[in-house]
Amino acid sequence: MLTSGPVVIMQMPEQLNLDGVRTFLQEVEPLLECHRPRIVLDCSQVRYIDNAGVEMMLHCLEEAMKRDGDLKLAALSPESEVILELMRVARVFEAFATSDEAVRSFNGVPAEAVPQDVPWYGGVFGEMGTLKQAS
Amino acid sequence: MLSAIVIVATASRGNNKWGGTTAKNLSVAHLGQQGTPLVCVEVLGRSVIERLIDDLRRGGVEKISVYQGISEPSSCTDIHSTSPIEFCSAETAWAGATQRLASCKDTGAEAIVVTRVSGYMDLELKDALRFHREQGQVVTRAFDDKEPLDFWIVDPAGIDEGTDILSAVEPARYLVPGYVNRLQDPGDLRRLVVDGLTARCGLRPKGQETRPGVWMGEETQVHRDARIVAPAFIGRGARVAEQCLITRCSSIESNCYVDYGTVVEDSSVLSNSYVGIGLDVAHSIVDGNNLLNLERDVTLEISDPCVMRQNRVPRQGGDVQSPVPSGVGNVEWVQAE
Repeated sequence: MLTSGPVVIMQMPEQLNLDGVRTFLQEVEPLLECHRPRIVLDCSQVRYIDNAGVEMMLHCLEEAMKRDGDLKLAALSPESEVILELMRVARVFEAFATSDEAVRSFNGVPAEAVPQDVPWYGGVFGEMGTLKQAS
Repeated sequence: MLSAIVIVATASRGNNKWGGTTAKNLSVAHLGQQGTPLVCVEVLGRSVIERLIDDLRRGGVEKISVYQGISEPSSCTDIHSTSPIEFCSAETAWAGATQRLASCKDTGAEAIVVTRVSGYMDLELKDALRFHREQGQVVTRAFDDKEPLDFWIVDPAGIDEGTDILSAVEPARYLVPGYVNRLQDPGDLRRLVVDGLTARCGLRPKGQETRPGVWMGEETQVHRDARIVAPAFIGRGARVAEQCLITRCSSIESNCYVDYGTVVEDSSVLSNSYVGIGLDVAHSIVDGNNLLNLERDVTLEISDPCVMRQNRVPRQGGDVQSPVPSGVGNVEWVQAE
């Protein structure tokens, strides 16, 4: 397992079947339990993927998003891409050519740069409030 | 009398002084049909070889012999024709056909058409025969604008026993005025489907045009909540389940089953294939449990039969002419071994 700052890169197993998924989940689940997990699944070694593999990836994404985090895919082979498209989950994941690119995409807008105390709608309604006052 | 020798071989003639089409693998072996040549794969309800035989019959050819090599890695066994065809096998299809041609001198035939079915072409046989007569040469060979095609018309009177007439004589060149698709790879097969559905070639879908651009074969079952967007083709005995979408020049060939909610877009599902629930099949050819994505040039073998599989349709009473014996309801959908 490689770490790159707060973003964790997980190497996916060659066989993403039921057995492979069980082992992999044991590794990844503790990471998903932290606050704002930011995970990159490196798929460069994946040679086989089945329903269990796709379900596991969706489960991980769901868990990460529940905790305000995200999960991205990297180095998908054309075969894996076709499988994900066939199963209609390709558009659910953000995918990148390399793990580095995936990590950089997390760092594009650092979490620290986003003000945590102001609600996202604050600015908009603030301006509307000003407009109402003016009228 | 006209007769024809039809050769089913994956390769063109090896020693060809006119530089025939290059020997390419014309089979869909990687698509799982045990090396079935592309010309034997159903395209819009009927294979290219069956269509050729129909065209030969319409052009006045009375006797048709189909040659297949014993040593050929591929086979083409299901040729359905309303009139009898003589099936012959030899060590190689070419050897058998050449031998047969050499023995045709005294058969009384007016002309002999020799063709290796290697692709699809819109050829007017009567026009080609008229050209052959006008030229007065022993052999006429068809050409497209690029290369020679494996289609000859031979005058039996000019045959010398013991010589390979096809390579011994300089032929008259008949330029095929119409559409030619050499079917060199599965991408060409897909192009043929699109060209057939958009009327860019003479290959017409086998079925009824139920509304503009939508063709249905006999005994198809399309759920009322499925959407078929023209142009599209649903073959004989095929079933399309609820909430499916078939669109962008897609073809679902005979005895296929596209299950609930699946989208088939710019794809061909070859005969006897099951496509599972909630899938998105795009820019692909599906053959049983094999999927070839043409956009990415990726072939996948799907091991989960719930996702994709080959349907095997039992034939009742040994009726080899009809893979769908009666209504779809009587067809048992069995997973292939």
